[in-house]
Amino acid sequence: MLTVSALTRSELGARLQQAGIHLQTGAFITCLQTSIPSVVDGIGLLYADYPLLENTDFADFHIRLTRPRGIRRWFKPQVTFMYDGMSLFKPLPLDQAFPMFEWGLNWCVSSRANRYLIIHAAVVEKDGYAAILPAPPGSGKSTLCAALVSQGWRLFSDELALIRTIDGRLVPLPRPISLKNGSIDIIRRYAPQAILSRAVSDTTKGTVAHLKVPADSIARAEEVARPAWVIFPKYEADAAPRLEPIPRARSFMRVAENAFNYSLLGASGFDALASIIDASLSYQFTYSKLDDAIEIFSKLKPLA
Amino acid sequence: MWRVIPGQALQYRVWDDEFVLYNNLSGDTHLLGANAVHVLLALQHAAADEETLITSLCLSLGIERDEESPLQVAQLLADLQSLSLIEHNAC
Repeated sequence: MLTVSALTRSELGARLQQAGIHLQTGAFITCLQTSIPSVVDGIGLLYADYPLLENTDFADFHIRLTRPRGIRRWFKPQVTFMYDGMSLFKPLPLDQAFPMFEWGLNWCVSSRANRYLIIHAAVVEKDGYAAILPAPPGSGKSTLCAALVSQGWRLFSDELALIRTIDGRLVPLPRPISLKNGSIDIIRRYAPQAILSRAVSDTTKGTVAHLKVPADSIARAEEVARPAWVIFPKYEADAAPRLEPIPRARSFMRVAENAFNYSLLGASGFDALASIIDASLSYQFTYSKLDDAIEIFSKLKPLA
Repeated sequence: MWRVIPGQALQYRVWDDEFVLYNNLSGDTHLLGANAVHVLLALQHAAADEETLITSLCLSLGIERDEESPLQVAQLLADLQSLSLIEHNAC
C-alpha cells in the first residue's frame, strides 16, 4: 500500500498543491489540498506512515488550507480552513497552518461522524483491552496518552473516542498527539526517540506541537477493541499516584458530559454508553509523575 | 393522580443501587436513586395518588410509614415532575 513516505518532499508538495491527496486516517478518508509549505512539512513528517489512496474520488472530508487574498497575504499573513469549499472558522496566523489542519480535522470528525458515539477522550489499548481517558483540557490527558504510547500502548486517539453504537466497540483514529506548553518538553525528555513537529507559539492553546504516532498504531488502525477501563486522569503537581474507583452511574454521567453527540444520538447513544460502562471499571486517577502512571496502568486488570 | 408522562419509555440502567435514566421525551439523562425509580415504575404500572405511593414505597423499603413519609414522597414527586418524567392529573 502506498504511504505518504513513498513521495519525496517535492512530489508531496506538488500533489497537495494540485489535486490534493487522499489520506486514510483510521475509518476516514480526507482529501487535503494546500500549497502552504508548513502543512506540506507537517504532513511529510507526521503522516509519513499513513496510507495514501489513489484512483479514488471519495473522501469523507474535503479540506483546503489556503491563504486569504488581498493585503493580508503580505501583511500578517493568515491561513483559512475550507471544508467542502466553505470557510467555517476565522482565519489564523499563517504560522498556525498545520495546527489548524489538526484542529479542523478534529472538528470534521466530531461534528460529522455521527455513526459513532464520540467522546472527548484519549483512548489507548493493550492486549485487546482499551482504556478510555475522558478529561477536559488541562488535565494532562494528552501528556499521559503520549507517555503510554511511548511505552507500548497502542494509540486509538488522544482526542476523540469513537464508539460503535452497534456493539460498543472502540474504533481507532490514530492521529498525531497534540501537546501543549510544558507538556512538549516533558515528552521530549520522557521519550527522546519521539518525533515532534515544530512547536508553534501564540496559539489560542498556547504553544503547541504534535507527536508522531508509532507505525504499529497506524498499521493496526482497522483493529477495534473492547472497552475495559474508563479512567478520568488529573495531573496534580507533587501528588502521589491515586487510582480510586468511581461508581459506574456517576462515571456514566461524567462521560456523557464529555461527549460531542450523546444528545444527538438519543436512545442509541444511551445504549452505547451504557455498554461501555457495563464492560468497564471506572476510576479517578491522580498523578504527578509519568513513571508512576505507566506502572499503575501496567497493573490494570479488566473485568473478569 | 400521578402518572408517567405518556410516551415516556423509562429506559434505564442500574449499577450499585444508582440509576441512570434516559428521558426520551426531553433527551436528558438523569442520575436517580432507587426510591425515585421505584415510584416511576409504580406509576408506569398504573397511575396512583400520593397515599398509594407512600404505602408502596414503605413496603418496598421494608420500613414503617412515619410523619416524614408524606413530605418525602411529595418532594420526590415534585422532583420527578420537574424533570418532566411524571405529571399530576386532577382526575
